[in-house]
Amino acid sequence: MAKKKTADTQVAIVGAGIAGLEAARQLVRLGYDPVILEKSDRIGGHVADWHCLFPDMTPASRLLDDLTDATHDLRVICRANIVSAGRLGDGYNLLLQDGTSIHVRAILVATGFSLFEAEKKEEYGYGVYDKVMTNADLEHWFNTGIDARITGQDVRRIGFVHCVGSRDVKAGNAQCSKVCCITAIKQAIEMKEKFPEAEIWCFYMDLRLFGKKYEDFYIGAQRDYGIHFIRGRVSEVSENIDGKVIVKAEDTLCGKPVKVTLDLLVLMAGMVCNRDNHPLAQALGLGIDEDGYFRSKDNIASITASDRKGIFYAGAATGPKTVPETLAEARSAALDIHAYLSAQ
Amino acid sequence: MMDFGFSLAPSSAINLDTVDLSRYRKLLELEPDARICMGCGSCSATCTAAPFSGMSVRKVILGLQRGQDREVDRMLSACMLCGKCTMVCPRGINTRHLILSLCRICADGTHKEREDGR
Amino acid sequence: MIERIPGAFHPFVLPFVFGMVFVLGYCLIGMVRIFFELPREDRRRFLISLVTPKTAWKNIRDIFLNCLIHVNLWKRNRVLGYMHSSIAFGWFMLILLGHVEVMLFLPHRVRFFYYPIFFNFFVAEADATIQGQVLMFLMDFFLLMVLSGIILAIIKRFRSRVFGMRRTTRPSFLDRVGLYSLWAIFPLRLLAETFTAHISGGSFLTEPAGQLFHRFISNDMHVLPTWWAYSIALGIFMVVLPFTRYMHIPAEMLLIPMRNAGIKVRHPRKGFAKLEYYSCPNCGVCIDACPMSARKENLKDCTVYLNRQLRRGNELRIEQISDKCLLCGKCTAVCQVGVQGPELRIAQRERRAFALAPDYGGIDVAPMKAAVAGKPARVLYFAGCMTALTPSIRKATETLLQAAGIDWQQMDPDGGLCCGRPLMMAGRKEQAEQLIRKNVEIIRASGCDTLLVTCPICYRVFKESYPLEGIRVVHHSVFFEELIRDGRLPVEYTSGSYVYHDPCELGRGCGIYEEPRAALRRMGVLHEAGKHHAESICCGGSLGSLTLGFEKRKDITLNALKNLTVNGPETIVTACPLCLNTFGRYADRPVEDLAEVLVKHLKTPTI
Repeated sequence: MAKKKTADTQVAIVGAGIAGLEAARQLVRLGYDPVILEKSDRIGGHVADWHCLFPDMTPASRLLDDLTDATHDLRVICRANIVSAGRLGDGYNLLLQDGTSIHVRAILVATGFSLFEAEKKEEYGYGVYDKVMTNADLEHWFNTGIDARITGQDVRRIGFVHCVGSRDVKAGNAQCSKVCCITAIKQAIEMKEKFPEAEIWCFYMDLRLFGKKYEDFYIGAQRDYGIHFIRGRVSEVSENIDGKVIVKAEDTLCGKPVKVTLDLLVLMAGMVCNRDNHPLAQALGLGIDEDGYFRSKDNIASITASDRKGIFYAGAATGPKTVPETLAEARSAALDIHAYLSAQ
Repeated sequence: MMDFGFSLAPSSAINLDTVDLSRYRKLLELEPDARICMGCGSCSATCTAAPFSGMSVRKVILGLQRGQDREVDRMLSACMLCGKCTMVCPRGINTRHLILSLCRICADGTHKEREDGR
Repeated sequence: MIERIPGAFHPFVLPFVFGMVFVLGYCLIGMVRIFFELPREDRRRFLISLVTPKTAWKNIRDIFLNCLIHVNLWKRNRVLGYMHSSIAFGWFMLILLGHVEVMLFLPHRVRFFYYPIFFNFFVAEADATIQGQVLMFLMDFFLLMVLSGIILAIIKRFRSRVFGMRRTTRPSFLDRVGLYSLWAIFPLRLLAETFTAHISGGSFLTEPAGQLFHRFISNDMHVLPTWWAYSIALGIFMVVLPFTRYMHIPAEMLLIPMRNAGIKVRHPRKGFAKLEYYSCPNCGVCIDACPMSARKENLKDCTVYLNRQLRRGNELRIEQISDKCLLCGKCTAVCQVGVQGPELRIAQRERRAFALAPDYGGIDVAPMKAAVAGKPARVLYFAGCMTALTPSIRKATETLLQAAGIDWQQMDPDGGLCCGRPLMMAGRKEQAEQLIRKNVEIIRASGCDTLLVTCPICYRVFKESYPLEGIRVVHHSVFFEELIRDGRLPVEYTSGSYVYHDPCELGRGCGIYEEPRAALRRMGVLHEAGKHHAESICCGGSLGSLTLGFEKRKDITLNALKNLTVNGPETIVTACPLCLNTFGRYADRPVEDLAEVLVKHLKTPTI
């Protein structure tokens, strides 16, 4: 049963995204008093920037509100940067950049991912052309309604480019980001609802719609929203005199090059390993996989376990994951931590 | 024996039982990365020669595995070796080397060496 | 001065005489063969250059400065420079002064060509006169000079790092024979002259040494054996010379006048190409310089190994080395002989037979001609294939042209033909010429007087191989720098700091180094990379390499980036879309084209 809270049973959670917050909620339920270390100045991670979540179009804010409500009594240290971690007794002593020292018995690494920097795919012209944005920019527009790239009702032709910075060794990220296919379909539907007159094209390499209700989403996008799917990777983007973007790809099913002139091009920037993984791995003595994500003890039965005693993982720190997968992993990690601490 | 009509009109279909893969295998010796093409079409879309000839590295690699040698030769002879396909390939295939290697392998599979440059 | 040996002959000279006759005969036949392997027009051109006073004088000067003084090596590495010039120049002076001695004192012996070499053996009391003493002094002085070089050479053989060379080549067996006999020649000469000093006379080196030896050994007994040994060492060196790296000594003396005559590599193995690879001294400077050396497994793919394999005729390795090279030209930039590694490789590639040769004859350029002829402008901008993948460069260029009020149009707004340079690099010259003819048609149809290019790869082939008389071909770095200087593109100075990366085709390829730097200095602090200008390191993205795969280029790029960032610039600036693309992938700081930097610093941004 749950132990009584003591300073000694402290667990440090690195990262205040949904993985960290969900794990914290579960640990509180189990009777612990975790401390959350967050490198930015706010909690919520990437989900805080999102508008709605597939497949039920749940507002992202609702999920976050639930999580923050359950954890608002906890100590959250923002702008935290772990400088070093030393073994101390049966736990760890974490030293932060401001000299704060925290003694914990277990650490949960929930540092998530970084969004691929779309300007690195130079040929797509992000930051060069006026009508090219990313999936994150679009969510920001859904939330705030502010974006210079979308003005008035003149958005009649929209393109979505899947796999931007995913499955691309040239972009330094060979693996699939898992969520972009369904996110593109979600965003395409949302755009179609906002601009019912618009024609929308999705340029994909393979459609990977594996999750519950994902296929329904795809069928809906085809049948109810008339979204066009073109199997071919966009290779070049240019701009015409009116500032519209011209996209060039090969329609590989037809075997012919295609071009289309668009009012808006959305790049589905993929998940890449968190840029700060390396220094953190060094401080904590953790392994890094070839893809740059943290290395689990194994990838089937012990995804949440690391090679070091008392250090656990949850969420996209070990690879691209969807929101439900992340939440499930956070709960599983909380249980693992509980079992670990109980056994000591 | 049911042959799905392949013996009636062989030219309109691909019969994997009879496809000659010798050129493809020879290519794999010279450029093993031909195996890892995922057919995304980046190379075809960016190709400088494509507008004039329908050149497509993707189709060349696929065509070799499907016995469409004549079409492959036609496309190869349009390549300008500009290197754009190599730049965009998300799998990092050395497409220029792939094309040059294929150009060296004759249709009949022999390998000629000219005695003298001039 | 007395002639000691009346018949002016002694059997010990025979090894030398044999070696000398052999090596002279070999070189003479080789030179004649190389000459006749040249195409007829090259032969004519060469002969004319020999009798043209200007080139004749240049030949003499270049041979003196390069073969004897090794000026290029001095510029690179003073110790190595001294080592080579002390041996080469010192030896040359010994031979020259030997002849002066003979002509001055015993003119009737000039016809015995071994006589000057063994002068001290054949004469007695050579130091009886003032002239004799001066000459003896000079002989000792230059012998000392050569010996100091030999000592350095021995140290270098075993501790090359002392000389700043990380890697050098491994000599072959015959190279070693040549090397050890070369090392032996001069100490043996010193001993021979020392033991003979009390008869022939000597100077500050040989005389005291002779007296010193005389105290405990009998000099007379050692006279003949040492002269024999000296002659044998000379004989061995000359007999093995044609089969060793030392062949570069005679080869370079022909290479220099042929190069001055403007002769180029036209055949992969014959004529000038053969002369080039025989001129390689196998020093291995190109190993450290080669950008591929960032990878251990490519250490043997640089030019020195190409030359070696070409001499050995190892076809498999020749093909591997020729196809792997990035053609960045750095080996030529650091080579003191100037062996043209890239040209030699392209010649090998041209030799290759393809069962299938491209043919662009069917391409109809009429629509492209009509498009450019429709709105004639003075400046025709050719973006090229690579710039299509770097829209930032194209857009920045357009903005700058607009801002400067240039009358311009783009040649390939809807895509165009390739410039032909990648085909040339791949050894498909004839096909490249087809594209060149078609592009020239389009350029002429536009009625432009300036062809602007943003890609150095295109720029080089437009400059070198396009018949575009009357049209100025200009790279954007040069064009925009001129506009800044003329005040047509006002730019602001800000606190940014930059390093400029010289693209291979623009720098070493076309000699453009200063204009992009001048432009950058007007906009911020310009740092230099560790290696820069002609010695800049290729980004690793070059189209020159046919076989290097994507993964294998990474280490090359990382090494080049390390070199660029040694002085801590905020931004890496280049002037080539391919370098931009390649560096952008791995750089830890922004990488921008010069045009992008210019747009950011424009005083009156106009769109």
